[in-house]
Amino acid sequence: MHAIVAIKQVPDTSNVRINPETGTLIREGVPAIINPYDAHAVELAVRLKRQFGGKVTVITMGPPKASEALVECAEQGADRGILISDRKFSAADTLATSYVLARTIEALMAEGPVDLLLFGKQAIDGDTAQVGPGVATRLGLPLISYAVGVESFDPIARTGVVHRRTERGIEVLQTTLPALLTVEKEIAAIERAPLADVIRAAQYTPEVWSASEPVAFDVAKIGIKGSPTIVGKAYTPPPKKAGAAVKVAEKGVASTVTEALAKVKAAGVVKI
Amino acid sequence: MSDTKRIWVLIEQEEGKAHPVSWELLGAAQRLAAELPGAVVEGVLLGDGVEGIAAEAYRYGATKVYLIDDPVLNVYRNAPYAYGIANLVKKYTPEIFLVGATTLGRDLASAIATRVATGLTADCTELAIDPDKHILAATRPTFGGNLMATILCKTQRPQMATVRPRVLPSPTPAETGAGELVREPLGMTEADVAVKLLKVIPTDSGEQVDIEYADVIVAGGRGLGAPEGFKLLEELAELLGGVVGASRAVVDAGWINVSRQIGQTGKTVRPKLFIAAGISGAIQHRVGITGSDFILAINSDPNAPIFSVADYGIVGDLYEVLPELINQIKAQRAGHGAPEVAHA
Amino acid sequence: MPEKLTFDAIVVGAGPAGISAAIVMARSGLKVMLIERGRFAGSKNFFGGVLYTHALADVLPDYWERKPPFERPVTEQGYWFLSPDSVMRVMHKSQHYQKDPAESYTALRSGFDAWFAQQAVSHGALLITKTTVVDGIRDAKGRVIGVRTDRPDGDVYAPIVIVSEGVNNLLTQKLGLMKADLPPRLIALSVKEYIGLPAKEVETRFNLSGAKEGMAIDIFGDATLGLPGTAFLYTDKQGISIGVGLLLEEFVHHKLKPYEVLARFKNHPVIKPYLAGGETLEYGAHLIPEFGYDRMPDLAADGVLVAGDAAGMVDALHREGTNLAMTAGRLAGETAVEAHKRNDFSAGFLKGYRQQLESSFVLKDLKQYRRMTDFLDSTPHFMSTYVNYLNDAALRYFSAHGLPKRDMEDNIIKMLFQRRSFFGVARDMLKLLQGMRG
Ligand SMILES: Cc1cc2nc3c(=O)[nH]c(=O)nc-3n(C[C@H](O)[C@H](O)[C@H](O)COP(=O)(O)OP(=O)(O)OC[C@H]3O[C@@H](n4cnc5c(N)ncnc54)[C@H](O)[C@@H]3O)c2cc1C
Ligand SMILES: Cc1cc2nc3c(=O)[nH]c(=O)nc-3n(C[C@H](O)[C@H](O)[C@H](O)COP(=O)(O)OP(=O)(O)OC[C@H]3O[C@@H](n4cnc5c(N)ncnc54)[C@H](O)[C@@H]3O)c2cc1C
Ligand SMILES: Nc1ncnc2c1ncn2[C@@H]1O[C@H](COP(=O)(O)O)[C@@H](O)[C@H]1O
Repeated sequence: MHAIVAIKQVPDTSNVRINPETGTLIREGVPAIINPYDAHAVELAVRLKRQFGGKVTVITMGPPKASEALVECAEQGADRGILISDRKFSAADTLATSYVLARTIEALMAEGPVDLLLFGKQAIDGDTAQVGPGVATRLGLPLISYAVGVESFDPIARTGVVHRRTERGIEVLQTTLPALLTVEKEIAAIERAPLADVIRAAQYTPEVWSASEPVAFDVAKIGIKGSPTIVGKAYTPPPKKAGAAVKVAEKGVASTVTEALAKVKAAGVVKI
Repeated sequence: MSDTKRIWVLIEQEEGKAHPVSWELLGAAQRLAAELPGAVVEGVLLGDGVEGIAAEAYRYGATKVYLIDDPVLNVYRNAPYAYGIANLVKKYTPEIFLVGATTLGRDLASAIATRVATGLTADCTELAIDPDKHILAATRPTFGGNLMATILCKTQRPQMATVRPRVLPSPTPAETGAGELVREPLGMTEADVAVKLLKVIPTDSGEQVDIEYADVIVAGGRGLGAPEGFKLLEELAELLGGVVGASRAVVDAGWINVSRQIGQTGKTVRPKLFIAAGISGAIQHRVGITGSDFILAINSDPNAPIFSVADYGIVGDLYEVLPELINQIKAQRAGHGAPEVAHA
Repeated sequence: MPEKLTFDAIVVGAGPAGISAAIVMARSGLKVMLIERGRFAGSKNFFGGVLYTHALADVLPDYWERKPPFERPVTEQGYWFLSPDSVMRVMHKSQHYQKDPAESYTALRSGFDAWFAQQAVSHGALLITKTTVVDGIRDAKGRVIGVRTDRPDGDVYAPIVIVSEGVNNLLTQKLGLMKADLPPRLIALSVKEYIGLPAKEVETRFNLSGAKEGMAIDIFGDATLGLPGTAFLYTDKQGISIGVGLLLEEFVHHKLKPYEVLARFKNHPVIKPYLAGGETLEYGAHLIPEFGYDRMPDLAADGVLVAGDAAGMVDALHREGTNLAMTAGRLAGETAVEAHKRNDFSAGFLKGYRQQLESSFVLKDLKQYRRMTDFLDSTPHFMSTYVNYLNDAALRYFSAHGLPKRDMEDNIIKMLFQRRSFFGVARDMLKLLQGMRG
């Protein structure tokens, strides 16, 4: 079995700060983490490897620092990490990103058969959820997004049954392999890696691929050139001002609550 | 036809029922059309035996509906839907294409955009026409709501965006409406589709709480005094169609499951209404709630930091305030209709 | 069955002590495993913030070329004595502090420790993070031969283990090197905020001429509600580190919440303007060991050495800790290297580590201030009485216009003895002297 997992290193958004003057992100001091959903995708791949044998390859397109994230995947049990990194890739939107990842996966598929492509449901820095479906479309492979469980997986018969969460419930879908899944956290709970794996990972150096080696990417389709969308303007939502407060002690509970309810209603956020 | 600028809206349907976000988008499309000379608002509808929905779309302002009706489209699957719509896009070259940012819509829009090689802005909360460039300016929150970004797509067409349900107002439908129905073939058979739906397990309304996406959250902290306090919060949450959340202090104390924890080490939430009862509002908690549209805080300590982010505060004992709140809401309901999340 | 994981040395905790030990040992060619429970070295660590370069230079002579992530050099330092509404400042600024590299720098530990650990890695040490050591492994004779981590198949072996786990020294205790748990009377709890402000603001507010100037202020008196403890305010590149510390026992005894003490301090009329408009970017609480020279754990046993906060190596009076930790870590590392050369890991040989510490400033200083904690403990009114007195006296002194100077001076002296008897004052001063002289 060979599973390829696409991961992204993202700033831990719970720690993100914005420079109020420039409206830009202060990345300094903000820890970079593996996109949480992607870590669960890696875990699923590693579990399937333990069950069926084979290998797990992790790929990421990002700056040199993103190599740390690949090392963390190696801790989790991934066998190979590839960092696709080049100045020319920078400022890529999801269209350009899915092009680079799809071509990378094609190159890996040329090396040998691949059974499963795993993506996170979305990256928490941009929350777009577009890259996985984009790659599946480019590769012409079946797509199952928002996957929450793998009911069965048969690399010999090349079929699998996957659970997918939608608003109306859990869809149970059968697919041929290889297929591309974008996963929710429930797909596999992350277990602590054995110490030996952590030691091995600490000594592992991921491969680095550039825009020309070993795959020559079409420069018109990568980075800013290959990205139809551009950020016109970025700004911080105006900081919330503290609203008024009423004191039960002064007005009595009934009229305090009436007043508060009126405020909620006036804001028009929910109907009471 | 050269000067006609088509603004398309995906009429999302499942099991023959249209998703309300489709109407919100038709409303938005009409506002955009008013700013864009030569623009027309049209719907795109796919499914199996769904023609009836087109009539509804006319009432919400679509002048034309492109319909692909085919048994292969009986249940939603990415490949045939994306294939069918991409063909429509290539044939009719819309200027703008709006899709709801639902599970279905986000899955589908990305595949369409990739097929027609255009830009797609995800999960927008605001749409406008840039007055100088006459193109779509789609605004969306990024970085956990810390930053708003306005995205433009200058070169490729259509300009695509998915839009969050319920952030745009829902228009009132006209009594009657008429439009043109354009039927197109799918051009694909069941044998071409690799993914088969075996069954659907309906969501049970039990412990599957998704507080991250809840519209109303009633959260409690150590001020509840004891785990039993959550019963009161549950009652209020149920009344408002919301869910119960918590501060870390009470999760650590074992009063409630960690899945409810909000804040730096818990979940970041963006409900329309957040009620904080007996929560001091430490910075680690606050970072998780500032994306809320309206925060109502109840705390006996007038200096509690939660008041600094609250849209409205009540200084008092939550055990006095909450029962009164529940009573007053019930009393008002007795007068009016059923609860509903406002489309405002 | 997984293979037995074996190293030449294991270091528990990647703080200043552990990283120093790892650098020294790796440089000598030992196969070193440095284990840290945080996500990265420094992720769980914070301090007030002044680092002393002398100890760093001893560990890493070329540290300056390796570009340490310091905040600002300390070019002005001293004390503020706060009463509820006034401040008396004793500050020292000197050309002597203006040099490259300077004697001390303010720093943030999340950045500094990460950088420092990277230096250990570049010397060949293996850094393992997100891994907690839960116990030691001992052989039949009770000698330490490795550690157990919280990971599956998490045992790892080495003939020598250096324990540099910081103040919360559970492993030190589990290994039987410290008999009793830490009493709250001998542990201080410090809470700190790092408040972000534009560099320009920091410089204007503290009268600094640019990025090459910085200030370190220790604050006494009302900052700690007059209770025995200290507060601090240090300038960083783009922000301010501010915090207060009290003995744990004081928090318990006076039912104080650490955060409230800090909030109160930040609201002090003298302090508030310095922080105005800043944004709290980091908040945390950390313990400081104050058990002093007399209650230190055993520093060596068969197969194990203890260094840094884990052994209580903090000179609270001078807010020094990292330099003691680095020096102890370095000496522990050197001792381990020597032990490998002789293939002797017995307590008998490892005790040489303690002797080296005795002849360094580490144990000399700790010995000298061995009675400081006791002094504050037995003189709880010290901070409030004298600091308030200083401020009131200054007010008299500077605003007694029209009064014969002789009367004013008498007044000032009388004011003191109204607050404390003559013998009380004498006793306090004597005790203070004893605390300072050892
Ligand atoms: C690194 C780190 C990460 C953290 N992550 C999180 C996180 O993700 N989420 C989180 O919540 N916390 C987090 N915390 C903890 C946080 O700092 C606070 O300790 C916690 O949020 C406090 O919870 P609380 O407000 O319920 O309790 P308290 O701070 O004890 O506040 C209780 C409040 O209830 C009020 N009260 C008491 N009785 C009543 C009454 N009868 N009626 C009305 N009000 C009453 C009190 O005035 C008080 O304000 C984190 C802390 C750290 C250091
Ligand atoms: C508020 C405050 C202000 C201070 N100000 C100053 C100052 O201005 N100047 C100064 O020199 N000193 C100062 N100190 C003291 C200084 O921070 C410490 O003395 C110094 O950090 C001690 O270094 P250490 O390596 O012994 O321990 P630590 O720095 O505490 O490092 C211990 C490391 O071990 C890790 N660890 C712990 N247990 C385990 C385990 N079981 N398994 C794996 N890893 C573990 C921890 O995560 C940590 O990284 C201050 C301290 C505080 C709290
Ligand atoms: N630069 C990237 N490198 C590798 N994988 C990526 C990258 N960006 C996105 N992905 C993958 O695509 C998923 C969805 O990302 P997004 O569409 O950006 O929300 C992520 O969870 C990753 O699995």
